[in-house]
Amino acid sequence: MRTDTEPQGMAITRESDSAHLGGDIMTVNFGPHHPSTHGVLRLVVDLDGERVVGLKPHIGYLHTGIEKQMESLRYQQAVVATDRHDYLSPLFNNLAYALAVEKLMAIEVPPRAQALRVIMCELCRLSSHMVWLGTSGLELGAMSMLMYCFRDRDRVMDLNEEISGFRMHTSYIRPGGVMADATDNFWTLLERFCQDMPGNIDEYENVLTSNPIWRARTIGIGLLAPEDAIALGATGPMLRGSGVDWDLRKVAPYSGYEKYDFEVPLSDAGDCYGRYLVRVAEMRESLKIISQAARQIPGGPVNVDDRKLLSPPREELETSMEAVIHHFKIVTEGYSPPAGDAYAVVESPRGESGCYLVSDGTHKPRRAKFRSASFVNLQALEKMALGGMVADMIAIIGTADAVLGDVDR
Amino acid sequence: MKPPKNVLASGRTNGDDWIEVAPAQLPTILTELKARGFRSWSFMTCVDHLGTPLVVPPKERFELVYQLRNMETREQIRVRAFVPASDPVAPSVQEIFAPANWDERETWDLFGIRFEGHPDLRRILLPDEWVGHPLRRDHPVGGEPVEFSDDHQSWQTAPAEA
Repeated sequence: MRTDTEPQGMAITRESDSAHLGGDIMTVNFGPHHPSTHGVLRLVVDLDGERVVGLKPHIGYLHTGIEKQMESLRYQQAVVATDRHDYLSPLFNNLAYALAVEKLMAIEVPPRAQALRVIMCELCRLSSHMVWLGTSGLELGAMSMLMYCFRDRDRVMDLNEEISGFRMHTSYIRPGGVMADATDNFWTLLERFCQDMPGNIDEYENVLTSNPIWRARTIGIGLLAPEDAIALGATGPMLRGSGVDWDLRKVAPYSGYEKYDFEVPLSDAGDCYGRYLVRVAEMRESLKIISQAARQIPGGPVNVDDRKLLSPPREELETSMEAVIHHFKIVTEGYSPPAGDAYAVVESPRGESGCYLVSDGTHKPRRAKFRSASFVNLQALEKMALGGMVADMIAIIGTADAVLGDVDR
Repeated sequence: MKPPKNVLASGRTNGDDWIEVAPAQLPTILTELKARGFRSWSFMTCVDHLGTPLVVPPKERFELVYQLRNMETREQIRVRAFVPASDPVAPSVQEIFAPANWDERETWDLFGIRFEGHPDLRRILLPDEWVGHPLRRDHPVGGEPVEFSDDHQSWQTAPAEA
Protein backbone atom coordinates (compact mmCIF):
# COMPACT_ATOMS: atom_id res chain seq x y z
CA MET A 1 0.00 0.00 0.00
CA ARG A 2 1.11 3.52 -0.61
CA THR A 3 2.08 5.62 2.34
CA ASP A 4 1.67 8.99 0.68
CA THR A 5 -2.06 8.69 1.22
CA GLU A 6 -3.00 11.89 2.89
CA PRO A 7 -6.59 10.96 3.70
CA GLN A 8 -6.66 8.01 6.07
CA GLY A 9 -10.14 6.83 5.18
CA MET A 10 -12.64 7.33 2.43
CA ALA A 11 -12.69 11.07 2.91
CA ILE A 12 -11.60 13.67 5.42
CA THR A 13 -12.57 17.26 5.84
CA ARG A 14 -10.27 20.04 6.83
CA GLU A 15 -10.55 23.73 7.59
CA SER A 16 -10.35 25.64 4.35
CA ASP A 17 -8.11 28.66 4.25
CA SER A 18 -9.93 30.48 1.46
CA ALA A 19 -13.22 28.74 0.97
CA HIS A 20 -15.12 29.86 -2.09
CA LEU A 21 -18.42 28.74 -0.74
CA GLY A 22 -17.60 29.46 2.85
CA GLY A 23 -17.60 25.75 3.72
CA ASP A 24 -14.91 23.20 4.34
CA ILE A 25 -12.77 21.69 1.62
CA MET A 26 -13.28 17.99 1.35
CA THR A 27 -10.48 15.74 0.13
CA VAL A 28 -11.73 12.67 -1.68
CA ASN A 29 -9.96 9.66 -3.06
CA PHE A 30 -11.16 9.09 -6.59
CA GLY A 31 -10.19 5.65 -7.79
CA PRO A 32 -7.98 3.69 -8.29
CA HIS A 33 -10.82 1.24 -8.87
CA HIS A 34 -13.33 3.51 -10.48
CA PRO A 35 -14.89 2.56 -13.81
CA SER A 36 -14.40 5.99 -15.31
CA THR A 37 -10.64 6.12 -14.78
CA HIS A 38 -9.99 3.87 -17.80
CA GLY A 39 -7.74 1.58 -15.84
CA VAL A 40 -6.41 2.13 -12.38
CA LEU A 41 -5.79 5.82 -11.89
CA ARG A 42 -6.10 7.34 -8.47
CA LEU A 43 -6.84 11.01 -8.04
CA VAL A 44 -6.78 12.83 -4.74
CA VAL A 45 -9.30 15.58 -5.30
CA ASP A 46 -9.91 18.62 -3.10
CA LEU A 47 -13.54 19.65 -3.38
CA ASP A 48 -15.15 22.91 -2.44
CA GLY A 49 -18.76 21.87 -2.68
CA GLU A 50 -18.79 20.23 -6.10
CA ARG A 51 -15.98 22.38 -7.46
CA VAL A 52 -12.53 20.89 -7.92
CA VAL A 53 -9.94 23.09 -6.20
CA GLY A 54 -7.08 20.62 -6.06
CA LEU A 55 -6.17 17.50 -7.97
CA LYS A 56 -3.23 15.16 -7.59
CA PRO A 57 -2.94 12.10 -9.84
CA HIS A 58 -1.28 9.03 -8.34
CA ILE A 59 -0.10 6.52 -10.91
CA GLY A 60 1.88 3.31 -10.90
CA TYR A 61 -0.84 0.78 -10.14
CA LEU A 62 -0.26 -0.94 -13.49
CA HIS A 63 3.54 -0.74 -13.46
CA THR A 64 4.83 -4.00 -14.91
CA GLY A 65 8.48 -3.13 -15.45
CA ILE A 66 8.36 -3.65 -19.21
CA GLU A 67 11.49 -1.57 -19.73
CA LYS A 68 13.40 -3.71 -17.24
CA GLN A 69 12.11 -6.92 -18.81
CA MET A 70 13.25 -5.79 -22.22
CA GLU A 71 16.83 -5.50 -20.99
CA SER A 72 16.92 -9.26 -20.53
CA LEU A 73 15.15 -10.16 -23.77
CA ARG A 74 16.84 -10.46 -27.14
CA TYR A 75 15.83 -7.89 -29.73
CA GLN A 76 13.42 -10.22 -31.53
CA GLN A 77 11.92 -11.46 -28.25
CA ALA A 78 11.32 -7.97 -26.92
CA VAL A 79 8.59 -7.39 -29.52
CA VAL A 80 6.04 -9.22 -27.39
CA ALA A 81 6.82 -6.97 -24.43
CA THR A 82 6.07 -3.86 -26.51
CA ASP A 83 2.52 -5.04 -27.26
CA ARG A 84 1.52 -5.01 -23.70
CA HIS A 85 1.98 -1.56 -22.24
CA ASP A 86 -0.48 0.42 -24.33
CA TYR A 87 -2.90 -2.45 -24.70
CA LEU A 88 -5.33 -0.50 -26.86
CA SER A 89 -2.78 0.31 -29.53
CA PRO A 90 -0.27 -2.55 -29.51
CA LEU A 91 0.63 -2.14 -33.17
CA PHE A 92 1.90 1.37 -32.64
CA ASN A 93 4.22 0.17 -29.89
CA ASN A 94 5.41 -2.62 -32.20
CA LEU A 95 6.01 -0.09 -34.93
CA ALA A 96 7.89 2.39 -32.73
CA TYR A 97 10.11 -0.41 -31.48
CA ALA A 98 10.65 -1.89 -34.93
CA LEU A 99 11.51 1.53 -36.36
CA ALA A 100 14.02 2.11 -33.55
CA VAL A 101 15.74 -1.24 -34.17
CA GLU A 102 15.73 -0.60 -37.91
CA LYS A 103 17.20 2.86 -37.30
CA LEU A 104 19.98 1.34 -35.19
CA MET A 105 20.76 -1.22 -37.87
CA ALA A 106 20.13 1.08 -40.87
CA ILE A 107 17.54 -1.22 -42.43
CA GLU A 108 14.91 -0.22 -44.94
CA VAL A 109 11.89 -2.54 -44.97
CA PRO A 110 10.28 -3.51 -48.32
CA PRO A 111 7.39 -1.36 -49.62
CA ARG A 112 4.78 -4.09 -49.19
CA ALA A 113 5.68 -4.46 -45.52
CA GLN A 114 5.41 -0.68 -45.08
CA ALA A 115 1.95 -0.64 -46.63
CA LEU A 116 0.83 -3.56 -44.43
CA ARG A 117 2.18 -1.71 -41.40
CA VAL A 118 0.17 1.37 -42.33
CA ILE A 119 -3.03 -0.65 -42.87
CA MET A 120 -2.70 -2.50 -39.57
CA CYS A 121 -1.80 0.67 -37.64
CA GLU A 122 -4.76 2.57 -39.00
CA LEU A 123 -7.06 -0.34 -38.17
CA CYS A 124 -5.59 -0.24 -34.70
CA ARG A 125 -6.23 3.51 -34.48
CA LEU A 126 -9.86 2.85 -35.40
CA SER A 127 -10.22 0.15 -32.76
CA SER A 128 -8.52 2.31 -30.12
CA HIS A 129 -10.77 5.29 -30.89
CA MET A 130 -13.78 2.97 -30.79
CA VAL A 131 -12.92 1.84 -27.27
CA TRP A 132 -12.41 5.46 -26.29
CA LEU A 133 -15.69 6.57 -27.83
CA GLY A 134 -17.65 3.66 -26.42
CA THR A 135 -16.39 4.05 -22.87
CA SER A 136 -16.53 7.85 -22.86
CA GLY A 137 -20.07 7.73 -24.18
CA LEU A 138 -21.01 5.21 -21.53
CA GLU A 139 -19.63 7.41 -18.77
CA LEU A 140 -21.68 10.37 -19.88
CA GLY A 141 -24.84 8.35 -20.23
CA ALA A 142 -24.86 7.31 -23.88
CA MET A 143 -24.92 3.60 -23.26
CA SER A 144 -25.69 2.61 -26.84
CA MET A 145 -22.26 3.96 -27.88
CA LEU A 146 -20.54 1.11 -26.10
CA MET A 147 -22.65 -1.42 -28.01
CA TYR A 148 -22.09 0.25 -31.38
CA CYS A 149 -18.36 0.68 -30.86
CA PHE A 150 -17.65 -2.79 -29.56
CA ARG A 151 -19.73 -4.29 -32.35
CA ASP A 152 -17.42 -2.64 -34.89
CA ARG A 153 -14.24 -3.11 -32.89
CA ASP A 154 -14.83 -6.83 -33.00
CA ARG A 155 -14.46 -6.71 -36.75
CA VAL A 156 -11.03 -5.12 -36.35
CA MET A 157 -10.17 -7.91 -33.94
CA ASP A 158 -11.31 -10.41 -36.58
CA LEU A 159 -8.98 -8.76 -39.07
CA ASN A 160 -6.14 -8.96 -36.56
CA GLU A 161 -6.86 -12.62 -36.06
CA GLU A 162 -7.02 -13.27 -39.78
CA ILE A 163 -3.63 -11.71 -40.47
CA SER A 164 -1.67 -12.71 -37.37
CA GLY A 165 -3.61 -15.35 -35.45
CA PHE A 166 -4.06 -13.06 -32.45
CA ARG A 167 -6.90 -10.73 -31.67
CA MET A 168 -5.27 -8.15 -29.43
CA HIS A 169 -1.54 -8.45 -28.79
CA THR A 170 -0.64 -9.36 -32.31
CA SER A 171 3.14 -8.65 -32.34
CA TYR A 172 2.49 -8.35 -36.05
CA ILE A 173 5.04 -5.64 -36.80
CA ARG A 174 8.57 -6.84 -36.18
CA PRO A 175 12.03 -5.48 -36.85
CA GLY A 176 12.70 -6.21 -40.50
CA GLY A 177 9.12 -6.28 -41.68
CA VAL A 178 5.89 -7.90 -40.59
CA MET A 179 4.97 -11.35 -39.32
CA ALA A 180 3.25 -12.67 -42.44
CA ASP A 181 1.61 -11.53 -45.63
CA ALA A 182 -2.12 -10.90 -45.66
CA THR A 183 -4.39 -13.74 -46.72
CA ASP A 184 -7.04 -13.47 -49.44
CA ASN A 185 -9.72 -13.67 -46.80
CA PHE A 186 -8.13 -10.69 -45.05
CA TRP A 187 -8.55 -8.51 -48.13
CA THR A 188 -12.19 -9.57 -48.48
CA LEU A 189 -12.92 -8.83 -44.83
CA LEU A 190 -11.05 -5.53 -45.05
CA GLU A 191 -13.01 -4.42 -48.10
CA ARG A 192 -16.32 -5.18 -46.40
CA PHE A 193 -15.15 -3.39 -43.28
CA CYS A 194 -14.16 -0.29 -45.25
CA GLN A 195 -17.54 -0.29 -46.99
CA ASP A 196 -19.53 -0.53 -43.77
CA MET A 197 -17.51 1.76 -41.51
CA PRO A 198 -18.45 5.20 -42.93
CA GLY A 199 -22.10 4.38 -42.26
CA ASN A 200 -21.25 3.16 -38.79
CA ILE A 201 -19.36 6.35 -37.98
CA ASP A 202 -22.43 8.30 -39.17
CA GLU A 203 -24.36 6.23 -36.69
CA TYR A 204 -22.01 7.25 -33.85
CA GLU A 205 -22.35 10.86 -34.85
CA ASN A 206 -26.15 10.58 -35.00
CA VAL A 207 -26.09 9.48 -31.41
CA LEU A 208 -23.66 12.07 -30.08
CA THR A 209 -22.72 15.05 -32.24
CA SER A 210 -26.01 16.94 -31.89
CA ASN A 211 -27.18 15.19 -28.76
CA PRO A 212 -28.09 17.96 -26.27
CA ILE A 213 -26.90 16.00 -23.23
CA TRP A 214 -23.57 15.10 -24.85
CA ARG A 215 -23.07 18.70 -25.93
CA ALA A 216 -23.97 20.06 -22.51
CA ARG A 217 -21.51 17.70 -20.87
CA THR A 218 -18.61 18.43 -23.23
CA ILE A 219 -18.81 21.91 -24.77
CA GLY A 220 -16.68 24.39 -22.83
CA ILE A 221 -15.53 21.66 -20.43
CA GLY A 222 -11.87 20.93 -19.81
CA LEU A 223 -10.48 23.89 -21.71
CA LEU A 224 -6.86 23.64 -22.76
CA ALA A 225 -5.30 26.62 -24.53
CA PRO A 226 -2.91 25.81 -27.41
CA GLU A 227 0.10 27.38 -25.65
CA ASP A 228 -0.67 25.39 -22.49
CA ALA A 229 -1.03 22.21 -24.51
CA ILE A 230 2.43 22.69 -26.02
CA ALA A 231 4.00 23.73 -22.71
CA LEU A 232 2.56 20.66 -20.98
CA GLY A 233 3.90 18.42 -23.72
CA ALA A 234 0.46 17.24 -24.84
CA THR A 235 0.37 15.46 -28.19
CA GLY A 236 -2.12 13.76 -30.45
CA PRO A 237 -5.83 14.63 -30.33
CA MET A 238 -5.21 16.59 -27.10
CA LEU A 239 -3.01 18.98 -29.05
CA ARG A 240 -5.08 19.00 -32.23
CA GLY A 241 -8.25 19.49 -30.19
CA SER A 242 -6.65 22.77 -29.09
CA GLY A 243 -6.06 23.82 -32.67
CA VAL A 244 -2.34 23.04 -33.03
CA ASP A 245 -1.69 21.51 -36.43
CA TRP A 246 0.77 18.80 -35.44
CA ASP A 247 0.63 15.23 -36.65
CA LEU A 248 3.82 13.18 -36.89
CA ARG A 249 2.42 11.33 -39.90
CA LYS A 250 2.58 14.68 -41.72
CA VAL A 251 5.52 16.48 -40.10
CA ALA A 252 7.89 13.51 -39.88
CA PRO A 253 6.42 10.83 -42.16
CA TYR A 254 7.43 7.22 -41.54
CA SER A 255 6.44 3.95 -43.23
CA GLY A 256 5.41 5.78 -46.39
CA TYR A 257 2.66 8.00 -44.92
CA GLU A 258 3.73 10.74 -47.32
CA LYS A 259 2.23 8.69 -50.16
CA TYR A 260 -1.31 8.83 -48.82
CA ASP A 261 -3.77 11.64 -49.15
CA PHE A 262 -5.40 12.49 -45.82
CA GLU A 263 -6.29 15.49 -43.71
CA VAL A 264 -5.27 16.28 -40.14
CA PRO A 265 -8.52 17.09 -38.32
CA LEU A 266 -8.30 20.13 -36.04
CA SER A 267 -10.62 21.87 -33.64
CA ASP A 268 -10.06 25.32 -32.19
CA ALA A 269 -12.43 24.71 -29.31
CA GLY A 270 -9.83 23.19 -26.95
CA ASP A 271 -12.61 21.53 -24.94
CA CYS A 272 -13.88 17.98 -24.58
CA TYR A 273 -16.24 18.42 -27.51
CA GLY A 274 -13.38 19.59 -29.72
CA ARG A 275 -11.32 16.53 -28.82
CA TYR A 276 -14.34 14.34 -29.56
CA LEU A 277 -14.80 15.92 -33.01
CA VAL A 278 -11.09 15.49 -33.78
CA ARG A 279 -11.13 11.79 -32.91
CA VAL A 280 -14.27 11.05 -34.90
CA ALA A 281 -12.83 12.89 -37.91
CA GLU A 282 -9.59 10.94 -37.45
CA MET A 283 -11.53 7.71 -37.76
CA ARG A 284 -12.80 8.79 -41.16
CA GLU A 285 -9.28 9.79 -42.23
CA SER A 286 -7.94 6.41 -41.09
CA LEU A 287 -10.48 4.69 -43.33
CA LYS A 288 -9.29 6.87 -46.23
CA ILE A 289 -5.69 5.82 -45.58
CA ILE A 290 -6.62 2.14 -45.31
CA SER A 291 -8.51 2.11 -48.61
CA GLN A 292 -5.69 3.93 -50.41
CA ALA A 293 -3.04 1.64 -48.98
CA ALA A 294 -5.05 -1.47 -49.78
CA ARG A 295 -5.73 -0.27 -53.33
CA GLN A 296 -2.16 0.64 -54.21
CA ILE A 297 -0.31 -1.99 -52.18
CA PRO A 298 2.87 -3.02 -54.00
CA GLY A 299 3.85 -6.65 -54.47
CA GLY A 300 7.02 -8.25 -53.24
CA PRO A 301 8.32 -9.62 -49.97
CA VAL A 302 7.06 -8.55 -46.54
CA ASN A 303 10.41 -8.91 -44.82
CA VAL A 304 13.94 -7.75 -45.47
CA ASP A 305 16.08 -10.32 -47.21
CA ASP A 306 18.69 -10.52 -44.50
CA ARG A 307 19.61 -13.90 -43.05
CA LYS A 308 21.45 -12.24 -40.15
CA LEU A 309 18.21 -10.62 -38.98
CA LEU A 310 15.40 -13.06 -39.73
CA SER A 311 15.48 -16.80 -39.86
CA PRO A 312 15.32 -18.35 -43.34
CA PRO A 313 12.10 -19.77 -44.80
CA ARG A 314 11.27 -23.29 -43.64
CA GLU A 315 11.80 -24.96 -47.02
CA GLU A 316 15.36 -23.64 -47.27
CA LEU A 317 16.31 -25.44 -44.07
CA GLU A 318 15.94 -28.79 -45.77
CA THR A 319 18.33 -28.07 -48.59
CA SER A 320 20.85 -25.50 -47.43
CA MET A 321 23.50 -25.97 -44.74
CA GLU A 322 23.99 -22.21 -44.51
CA ALA A 323 20.31 -21.72 -43.86
CA VAL A 324 20.51 -24.16 -40.95
CA ILE A 325 23.47 -22.27 -39.50
CA HIS A 326 21.67 -18.95 -39.86
CA HIS A 327 18.56 -20.40 -38.29
CA PHE A 328 20.62 -21.77 -35.39
CA LYS A 329 22.39 -18.44 -34.82
CA ILE A 330 19.13 -16.45 -34.92
CA VAL A 331 17.34 -18.79 -32.53
CA THR A 332 20.18 -19.22 -30.03
CA GLU A 333 21.78 -15.80 -30.11
CA GLY A 334 19.71 -13.32 -32.09
CA TYR A 335 21.26 -10.32 -33.76
CA SER A 336 23.32 -7.47 -32.38
CA PRO A 337 22.77 -3.94 -33.63
CA PRO A 338 25.91 -1.76 -33.60
CA ALA A 339 26.47 0.27 -30.43
CA GLY A 340 24.62 3.57 -30.37
CA ASP A 341 21.21 4.95 -29.66
CA ALA A 342 18.15 5.82 -31.70
CA TYR A 343 14.78 7.42 -31.07
CA ALA A 344 11.87 6.51 -33.32
CA VAL A 345 8.42 8.05 -33.07
CA VAL A 346 5.00 7.23 -34.43
CA GLU A 347 1.70 9.07 -34.18
CA SER A 348 -0.34 6.74 -32.00
CA PRO A 349 -4.06 7.28 -31.26
CA ARG A 350 -2.90 9.14 -28.16
CA GLY A 351 -0.07 11.20 -29.61
CA GLU A 352 3.68 10.95 -29.84
CA SER A 353 4.52 7.36 -29.02
CA GLY A 354 8.22 6.75 -29.22
CA CYS A 355 10.88 4.23 -28.47
CA TYR A 356 14.37 5.22 -27.38
CA LEU A 357 16.74 2.30 -27.74
CA VAL A 358 20.33 2.14 -26.59
CA SER A 359 22.46 -0.67 -27.94
CA ASP A 360 25.81 -1.63 -26.44
CA GLY A 361 26.64 -3.94 -29.30
CA THR A 362 25.23 -7.06 -27.65
CA HIS A 363 22.11 -9.01 -28.59
CA LYS A 364 19.95 -7.45 -25.86
CA PRO A 365 19.02 -3.78 -25.54
CA ARG A 366 21.06 -1.85 -22.98
CA ARG A 367 18.07 0.42 -22.42
CA ALA A 368 14.64 0.60 -23.96
CA LYS A 369 12.58 3.62 -23.04
CA PHE A 370 9.04 4.14 -24.21
CA ARG A 371 7.92 7.70 -24.58
CA SER A 372 4.27 7.23 -23.85
CA ALA A 373 1.81 9.87 -24.91
CA SER A 374 -0.58 9.01 -22.07
CA PHE A 375 2.08 9.62 -19.40
CA VAL A 376 2.66 13.17 -20.63
CA ASN A 377 -0.96 13.93 -21.55
CA LEU A 378 -2.13 12.94 -18.10
CA GLN A 379 -0.09 15.78 -16.60
CA ALA A 380 -2.42 18.22 -18.33
CA LEU A 381 -5.35 16.83 -16.33
CA GLU A 382 -4.82 19.22 -13.45
CA LYS A 383 -4.82 22.21 -15.78
CA MET A 384 -8.06 21.10 -17.42
CA ALA A 385 -9.99 20.00 -14.34
CA LEU A 386 -9.17 22.72 -11.79
CA GLY A 387 -12.05 25.08 -11.20
CA GLY A 388 -14.55 22.77 -12.86
CA MET A 389 -17.23 20.57 -11.39
CA VAL A 390 -16.37 17.12 -10.13
CA ALA A 391 -18.77 15.54 -12.63
CA ASP A 392 -16.96 17.27 -15.48
CA MET A 393 -13.75 15.61 -14.38
CA ILE A 394 -15.21 12.35 -15.72
CA ALA A 395 -15.65 13.90 -19.15
CA ILE A 396 -12.13 15.33 -18.99
CA ILE A 397 -10.48 12.04 -18.00
CA GLY A 398 -12.45 10.41 -20.80
CA THR A 399 -11.31 12.78 -23.53
CA ALA A 400 -7.72 12.82 -22.26
CA ASP A 401 -7.85 9.13 -23.30
CA ALA A 402 -4.98 7.98 -21.12
CA VAL A 403 -4.34 4.26 -21.14
CA LEU A 404 -3.01 3.47 -17.70
CA GLY A 405 -0.96 0.55 -18.90
CA ASP A 406 0.86 3.01 -21.13
CA VAL A 407 1.23 5.55 -18.31
CA ASP A 408 2.75 3.06 -15.88
CA ARG A 409 4.52 0.73 -18.34
CA MET B 1 22.09 24.05 -36.17
CA LYS B 2 24.81 25.97 -34.32
CA PRO B 3 25.29 24.28 -30.96
CA PRO B 4 24.92 26.46 -27.86
CA LYS B 5 27.95 27.57 -25.85
CA ASN B 6 29.46 25.33 -23.15
CA VAL B 7 28.77 22.19 -25.13
CA LEU B 8 31.29 19.44 -24.39
CA ALA B 9 30.63 17.47 -27.57
CA SER B 10 28.11 17.26 -30.36
CA GLY B 11 27.35 14.84 -33.13
CA ARG B 12 24.83 12.83 -35.07
CA THR B 13 24.07 9.18 -34.33
CA ASN B 14 21.73 7.15 -36.54
CA GLY B 15 20.29 10.39 -37.91
CA ASP B 16 19.62 11.98 -34.51
CA ASP B 17 21.44 15.18 -33.53
CA TRP B 18 22.85 15.32 -30.03
CA ILE B 19 24.93 17.53 -27.79
CA GLU B 20 26.67 16.69 -24.57
CA VAL B 21 26.80 19.10 -21.66
CA ALA B 22 27.96 19.11 -18.06
CA PRO B 23 25.09 18.29 -15.65
CA ALA B 24 25.39 21.69 -13.95
CA GLN B 25 24.85 23.38 -17.33
CA LEU B 26 21.55 21.59 -18.04
CA PRO B 27 19.17 24.39 -16.97
CA THR B 28 21.11 27.03 -18.89
CA ILE B 29 21.38 24.96 -22.05
CA LEU B 30 17.75 23.84 -21.98
CA THR B 31 16.59 27.44 -21.41
CA GLU B 32 18.65 28.51 -24.40
CA LEU B 33 17.30 25.69 -26.56
CA LYS B 34 13.76 26.55 -25.54
CA ALA B 35 14.35 30.17 -26.54
CA ARG B 36 15.60 28.93 -29.90
CA GLY B 37 12.28 27.19 -30.53
CA PHE B 38 12.78 23.73 -29.03
CA ARG B 39 9.55 24.08 -27.08
CA SER B 40 8.18 20.60 -27.38
CA TRP B 41 9.29 18.10 -24.76
CA SER B 42 9.58 14.50 -25.89
CA PHE B 43 11.05 12.75 -22.88
CA MET B 44 13.94 12.58 -20.49
CA THR B 45 15.42 9.41 -19.13
CA CYS B 46 18.60 7.81 -17.91
CA VAL B 47 20.85 5.06 -19.19
CA ASP B 48 22.89 2.94 -16.80
CA HIS B 49 26.25 2.01 -18.34
CA LEU B 50 27.33 -0.34 -15.53
CA GLY B 51 29.39 -3.21 -16.91
CA THR B 52 29.30 -1.90 -20.45
CA PRO B 53 31.00 -4.14 -22.99
CA LEU B 54 32.07 -1.13 -25.06
CA VAL B 55 35.81 -0.85 -25.75
CA VAL B 56 35.69 2.88 -25.03
CA PRO B 57 33.38 3.00 -22.02
CA PRO B 58 31.10 6.02 -21.47
CA LYS B 59 32.49 8.75 -19.21
CA GLU B 60 30.36 7.96 -16.21
CA ARG B 61 27.94 5.27 -15.16
CA PHE B 62 24.73 7.27 -15.62
CA GLU B 63 23.80 9.14 -18.74
CA LEU B 64 20.86 11.52 -18.66
CA VAL B 65 19.12 11.98 -21.98
CA TYR B 66 16.75 14.84 -22.83
CA GLN B 67 14.92 14.80 -26.13
CA LEU B 68 13.44 18.06 -27.44
CA ARG B 69 11.68 19.01 -30.62
CA ASN B 70 11.39 22.26 -32.51
CA MET B 71 7.83 22.56 -33.75
CA GLU B 72 8.66 25.18 -36.39
CA THR B 73 11.79 23.78 -38.04
CA ARG B 74 10.85 20.17 -37.04
CA GLU B 75 14.38 19.51 -35.85
CA GLN B 76 15.03 17.28 -32.89
CA ILE B 77 17.86 17.53 -30.43
CA ARG B 78 19.09 15.15 -27.77
CA VAL B 79 20.96 16.58 -24.80
CA ARG B 80 23.20 14.18 -22.90
CA ALA B 81 24.80 14.69 -19.52
CA PHE B 82 26.93 12.15 -17.69
CA VAL B 83 26.40 11.80 -13.96
CA PRO B 84 28.84 9.87 -11.74
CA ALA B 85 27.65 6.87 -9.74
CA SER B 86 29.28 8.23 -6.57
CA ASP B 87 27.04 11.30 -6.52
CA PRO B 88 24.05 10.86 -8.84
CA VAL B 89 22.66 14.41 -8.75
CA ALA B 90 21.49 16.71 -11.50
CA PRO B 91 19.64 20.03 -11.44
CA SER B 92 15.91 19.83 -12.06
CA VAL B 93 14.56 21.42 -15.24
CA GLN B 94 10.87 21.15 -14.39
CA GLU B 95 10.56 24.95 -14.19
CA ILE B 96 11.71 25.22 -17.80
CA PHE B 97 9.74 22.27 -19.16
CA ALA B 98 6.64 21.39 -17.13
CA PRO B 99 6.42 17.74 -18.27
CA ALA B 100 9.91 17.17 -16.86
CA ASN B 101 8.25 17.02 -13.45
CA TRP B 102 6.99 13.46 -13.83
CA ASP B 103 9.92 12.32 -15.95
CA GLU B 104 12.34 13.39 -13.21
CA ARG B 105 10.25 11.66 -10.58
CA GLU B 106 10.32 8.51 -12.71
CA THR B 107 14.09 8.75 -13.15
CA TRP B 108 14.49 9.17 -9.39
CA ASP B 109 12.17 6.22 -8.81
CA LEU B 110 13.78 3.81 -11.25
CA PHE B 111 17.42 4.98 -11.35
CA GLY B 112 17.95 6.86 -8.10
CA ILE B 113 19.14 10.08 -9.70
CA ARG B 114 18.35 13.04 -7.43
CA PHE B 115 17.11 16.21 -9.08
CA GLU B 116 17.96 19.29 -7.07
CA GLY B 117 15.26 21.92 -7.01
CA HIS B 118 12.45 19.49 -7.80
CA PRO B 119 9.49 20.46 -5.60
CA ASP B 120 8.08 16.96 -5.11
CA LEU B 121 10.72 14.31 -5.72
CA ARG B 122 8.80 11.21 -4.64
CA ARG B 123 8.54 7.78 -6.19
CA ILE B 124 5.96 7.83 -8.96
CA LEU B 125 5.57 4.30 -10.34
CA LEU B 126 6.69 2.10 -7.46
CA PRO B 127 5.27 1.95 -3.93
CA ASP B 128 6.90 4.40 -1.52
CA GLU B 129 8.42 1.67 0.63
CA TRP B 130 10.16 -0.03 -2.31
CA VAL B 131 13.86 -0.65 -1.71
CA GLY B 132 16.28 0.12 -4.52
CA HIS B 133 15.98 1.54 -7.99
CA PRO B 134 15.05 -1.29 -10.35
CA LEU B 135 16.23 0.05 -13.69
CA ARG B 136 19.80 0.13 -12.39
CA ARG B 137 21.69 -2.71 -13.99
CA ASP B 138 22.74 -4.17 -10.65
CA HIS B 139 19.15 -4.56 -9.50
CA PRO B 140 18.36 -8.26 -9.89
CA VAL B 141 15.55 -9.23 -12.25
CA GLY B 142 14.75 -12.31 -10.22
CA GLY B 143 15.54 -15.92 -10.81
CA GLU B 144 17.38 -18.40 -8.65
CA PRO B 145 20.94 -17.65 -7.63
CA VAL B 146 23.07 -20.51 -8.94
CA GLU B 147 26.45 -21.93 -8.00
CA PHE B 148 28.10 -21.06 -11.29
CA SER B 149 27.45 -17.35 -11.48
CA ASP B 150 30.74 -16.18 -12.99
CA ASP B 151 28.80 -14.67 -15.83
CA HIS B 152 26.15 -13.12 -13.61
CA GLN B 153 26.51 -9.82 -15.40
CA SER B 154 25.31 -11.22 -18.66
CA TRP B 155 22.36 -12.84 -16.88
CA GLN B 156 21.83 -9.68 -14.85
CA THR B 157 21.20 -11.70 -11.74
CA ALA B 158 23.32 -10.87 -8.76
CA PRO B 159 25.27 -13.83 -7.33
CA ALA B 160 24.01 -15.35 -4.10
CA GLU B 161 25.20 -13.65 -0.96
CA ALA B 162 28.06 -15.57 0.64
